[in-house]
Amino acid sequence: MAVDKKFIGKKYPPVEYEVCKEKVKEYATAVGDLNPLYMDEQKAQQSRYKGLIAPPMFAVVYTKDAVAQVMFDRELALNLPMLVHGEQEYEFVDVVRPGDVIVTEAYVADIYEKGDKDFVVAGGISKKKSDGSTVTRGKWTFVIRR
Amino acid sequence: MAITAKIGDIFTLQKEVDKYRPIFYAGASGDFNPIHIDAEFGKMVGLGGAILQGLCTMAFVMQTVSEWSHDPYKVKKLKVRFAKPVLPEDTITITGKVTTIENSTARCELIAKKQTGEEVINNAYAEVDLG
Repeated sequence: MAVDKKFIGKKYPPVEYEVCKEKVKEYATAVGDLNPLYMDEQKAQQSRYKGLIAPPMFAVVYTKDAVAQVMFDRELALNLPMLVHGEQEYEFVDVVRPGDVIVTEAYVADIYEKGDKDFVVAGGISKKKSDGSTVTRGKWTFVIRR
Repeated sequence: MAITAKIGDIFTLQKEVDKYRPIFYAGASGDFNPIHIDAEFGKMVGLGGAILQGLCTMAFVMQTVSEWSHDPYKVKKLKVRFAKPVLPEDTITITGKVTTIENSTARCELIAKKQTGEEVINNAYAEVDLG
């Protein structure tokens, strides 16, 4: 059964995430990207960032719970065993650092069919809680085989 | 620091996926989907074992671009298509190529391949601020 297009534009409650330096180190270690800007406080101090930063792809961590609301939405009722993550994009608007509290709002960006597959695109806009400035915009394309 | 880049420049990075990488990535990212941490489950659903999280492979692609740009936040956009699953003990080679430069932004087309030559990420690109 095709996913109902009436859900395009549906918004979900904002989800907060506080970035912490130990989690950033854990993430950088797990993906094997040992850039001192993520790991080494002294070296990061001497850089143009004047302190530790999160890898841009750390967005995966702080946006996860917001976008999970789309995946597990009972109204959308996505057939999860048949779902694969088809595409991903992130726009990196501003630097994220340990200590930042990031608020992500997820929404249904698009729903369409191609062949025997349904495509559901979830969007997520992440902002700093402190000043409301945008840090990332993400798009997750889920492909559901029928 | 400005980046010197011209159309046709190529950069590359190789990443080895060890046996436990999906489990480390699950812990770091929170993605504990059984297809990533349970090889028997992965086989049962036809994936041939526990597969690496696509977003981990995307992080490899990001590392490739950010090592080239010498500054991770010069990368303004990254888009990928997950073409095939990556399995533990695969070796992934990521290649980027500068295809256009406009308004001090380089567009780099990206591809990630397994040791077999199979494409695991394609239709991928990054936009990098050269200023």
